[in-house]
Amino acid sequence: MFITFALITLLGALGMLLQKNVVVAGLCMVAAFFGVAGLFVLLANPVAAALQIIVYTGAIMVLVLFVIMMLNSHQEEEAQASHPVQRWLSLALLAVLALGGVKLVMGSAGLKALAEKGSTMPQAMTLEKVGTALFADHLLGFEVAGLVLLAAMIGAVALTKRNL
Amino acid sequence: MDKLASLLHTTPATAWMVAKLVIVFGGVFSLAAVWTWVERRGAAMIQDRIGPNRAALFGKIKIIGLAQPLADGIKFFFKEDLVPHDANKGLFWLAPFLALVPALMGFAVIPFGRSFVSGGQEYHLALLDPGNGMGLLYPLAIGGMAVYGVLVAAWSSNNKWAILGGMRSSATMVSYEIGMSLAVVAIFMTAGGYDPSEVIKAQGHLPWAWNIVRQPLGFIVFFACMFAETNRLPFDFAEGESEIVAGFNTEYGSMKFSLLALSEYCHMMTASALMATLYFGGWQVPFVQDPSVMLSVASFLVKMLFFAWVYVWIRWTLPRFRYDQLMHLGWKAMLPMSMVNLVFHAWRMSQGH
Repeated sequence: MFITFALITLLGALGMLLQKNVVVAGLCMVAAFFGVAGLFVLLANPVAAALQIIVYTGAIMVLVLFVIMMLNSHQEEEAQASHPVQRWLSLALLAVLALGGVKLVMGSAGLKALAEKGSTMPQAMTLEKVGTALFADHLLGFEVAGLVLLAAMIGAVALTKRNL
Repeated sequence: MDKLASLLHTTPATAWMVAKLVIVFGGVFSLAAVWTWVERRGAAMIQDRIGPNRAALFGKIKIIGLAQPLADGIKFFFKEDLVPHDANKGLFWLAPFLALVPALMGFAVIPFGRSFVSGGQEYHLALLDPGNGMGLLYPLAIGGMAVYGVLVAAWSSNNKWAILGGMRSSATMVSYEIGMSLAVVAIFMTAGGYDPSEVIKAQGHLPWAWNIVRQPLGFIVFFACMFAETNRLPFDFAEGESEIVAGFNTEYGSMKFSLLALSEYCHMMTASALMATLYFGGWQVPFVQDPSVMLSVASFLVKMLFFAWVYVWIRWTLPRFRYDQLMHLGWKAMLPMSMVNLVFHAWRMSQGH
């Protein structure tokens, strides 16, 4: 199960990077989101999986594809030849990031506990728990995020609609 | 069920799972096929015609034309399968499946009858057992995926009308999803849970305790949004025959067209089932406290097919909206209405009712 979803995620992400066609790349990204949603279900968090699909695949990617189709460029501009420095720099950064990520996971407290006690079935996440966490424990962050989103929305409307 | 399972050398749970898969997917798919016939007969009835009544099994058994979907299916399979020259071939093939699979999957979480216990094993009449943690978020999530079938079909055909249809439909779906979700959130709040079985239990068996009476405003919003989500008239902007040829499926023919059309009907079935579950007590039978399993299934089917008929009824009664009217309705009427509904019920709950 895990391998299937991980493969879907990775292949989707790879396809998105390697595809020349923008719409196909977008669809590959949808596949990657789906794989991530499947991984969330395996981690006993179906709520996150549902929200992932509703928000990312259901809304954001649709809007992205919408814009791509609006521009509707069938021929993409040729990318300029990248400098070799950029390539090496990105490779080095990627290596550092990957190493850091692996180190973080390996040194995490959860993994140590897993090695000592063995795995226990985690309690499934429910919408009620998400709501409590948002409105009781992280109220300030939630409100700030709401304010930022509101500001972004007003800004977007003000930018696109000159004569209100 | 136990005997059948032992015959097949499996546990009752596995046999039941397989049976449910066949019932749900097969049932929804064949209902959708039958509904294409109902739509044509209904249109004929409303327009004072007779409609398709000639198709007969083996040339003899003519059940008011009910064999029509079968004949249509055979015809579609044997038609020439054209792919436009400049189409994106892979995506052109993929699109009908992208449309059909979410349409069929959406039904999985909806309980179509009460659970029963047999031989110490509890059987649930829903593909995903209650308490799966996804609950009614699942049909919302899958419903959001429906737009990809239309979008991909539109873009891959490389046709101006198709792209216009696809863009109109994706904009519609995204705008109406918000109003719809807020209407559903109000139901989660009053039911105190988001699992369909909890929502049904909270409504009880008395019709005046159903959500349609408690939240009429929410129902109006949800009902209208479901028409936009399923791309049905008066909101069928993906097709709009009089304006953009046939919209997103202009270039489609043979079985691929049939799959796109069937996916619309499957969506209709899921949407009707959702309306019955959320606002009309699901499988609850009016005034019967503990209905038998068969009675509860019949009750659910009656409610669901009634709404499926309403879809047909409205399609042949109302004219199509204009696109700007649709956007006005979505953002300036549906969204505020569902927000008012949500805040009102939150206020009532805070007052302790």
